Amino acid sequence: MKDELRLFFRVLGRTLAGSFSLSARGREKGAVIEQMYQVGNRSLIFIAVTLGFIGMVLVFQTCLQVNHITGDLSQVGSEFIKILVHEFGPSLTAMMLATRVGAGIAAEIGSMVVTEQVDALRMNNVDPIDYLIVPRFIASLVMTTVLTIFGVAVALGMGALTARFSFHVNPMVFLDFSHVHIGDLLTGLMKCVAYGAAIPIVAGFCGFAARGGSEGVGAATTRAVITASFVVILLDFILSGVALFTLQRPA
Amino acid sequence: MSGVEGRGSRVEGTAKIEFRKVRKSFSGKEVLRGVDFGVGKGEVLFIIGTSGVGKSVTIKHIIGLLRPDSGEILLDGNRVDGLSEQALYDVRKRCAMVFQHATLFDSMTLLENVALPLRKHQGLSERDAEKEAAGLLDQVNLSDSYQAYPAALSDGMRKRAAIARALTMKPEVVLFDEPTTGLDPVNARRIDRLIRKLSDDLGVTSIVVSHDLTSIFSIADRIAMIYQGVAHFVGTPAELKASPDPILQQFVSGRSQGPMETPGF
Repeated sequence: MKDELRLFFRVLGRTLAGSFSLSARGREKGAVIEQMYQVGNRSLIFIAVTLGFIGMVLVFQTCLQVNHITGDLSQVGSEFIKILVHEFGPSLTAMMLATRVGAGIAAEIGSMVVTEQVDALRMNNVDPIDYLIVPRFIASLVMTTVLTIFGVAVALGMGALTARFSFHVNPMVFLDFSHVHIGDLLTGLMKCVAYGAAIPIVAGFCGFAARGGSEGVGAATTRAVITASFVVILLDFILSGVALFTLQRPA
Repeated sequence: MSGVEGRGSRVEGTAKIEFRKVRKSFSGKEVLRGVDFGVGKGEVLFIIGTSGVGKSVTIKHIIGLLRPDSGEILLDGNRVDGLSEQALYDVRKRCAMVFQHATLFDSMTLLENVALPLRKHQGLSERDAEKEAAGLLDQVNLSDSYQAYPAALSDGMRKRAAIARALTMKPEVVLFDEPTTGLDPVNARRIDRLIRKLSDDLGVTSIVVSHDLTSIFSIADRIAMIYQGVAHFVGTPAELKASPDPILQQFVSGRSQGPMETPGF
């Protein structure tokens, strides 16, 4: 337990120091771009499909309930956009990335640990955290935000289509951004940055803590997905609380 | 040292590497319980013992990949066991390691793998590092495979490439972790010849973890046997063969029945 805590804080400290240092000892040329492609481009379809279906389900269920109560669906779109921007967009995108990206990072680093490739990096004057985590950390920070914007757009589009074809809500009425304030945008952005930072650090830590053979890599991957997802939920709770009292206007 | 002492148990002259009462535990299980032996300059010392007894663990302490719970490790008379990760990079320039599974980086070609330490330790440009790496790959007869990826090569070729990478920094000490395991006899003997040549021609000190009795009796200057967490025997191959100690005899003869306790059995 003590060793694990030490490892976690070492991964956290070295990643933050390495990300803001211009002379990172282990970073390879083009590594950040490569990781942006891995984290971003290769998650596009996954995020589009997931956020698209979630957008459809949420709008369908909301319209159904509102229809039963008041029958006035004119406010559904504006409230849906507001909650999508500061809550569902960043959090659901991050949950998806915690599974896809988190598992990938933990499996890759875990297998490098058990096959002694991490020791070989250390022998070659390469800091494994600089080499393996820092590019993924920077890529994740940027691409979580980019993917969230993309995911929100897809969810909005699919939501608008669902409202139009299932409940005859005019898309011009549905796509009402008047309820979205700067506080909502800042809350969403703050969550994107926090999730983007947390996922590679948690997954990298789980990978570095892997022991044994392929069984150890499997265990590290499972642990990374569970822990990263849990951290996203925990951060969501904390940041939502902070935003409620600082950034967001009361309804 | 505890256990059996041969006349060759002591290092002649100054020891290049010394282990003094080194202890190491993992999750409460004590693997090393006071390992104590020295390695002379330019000699080929084999570390033998059954699987899981702590042979690889022992050599990883020299280069700081593992830290002892207690005890001292000295390189040229200077302690290396308490050095920072930064300070250990100098030790790792002087002491190279060939890992058990060759441990080449899958995403790099052989040329890039061998050039990596030259770029990172010496700060050479990519072009200069790859030029020097090509020369080293030629020395281990891999001139046709510069651009090959490790996954496309045989075990023997990967081991040879790993040795080329280990030699990039012209090390004073090379640690070999089971260099002949999984190789056919012809390739295994070629690796043996390479290890012996490093010692004879360049004065490199080699520590070889191995179970390969043919290698042990053909190229070792001395042998250290780790058993129950201590150096049970340190001596020459001739002393090992001649020893009446039942543990040593069982290991050398490879009998399954005998007094030797094996982890997991």
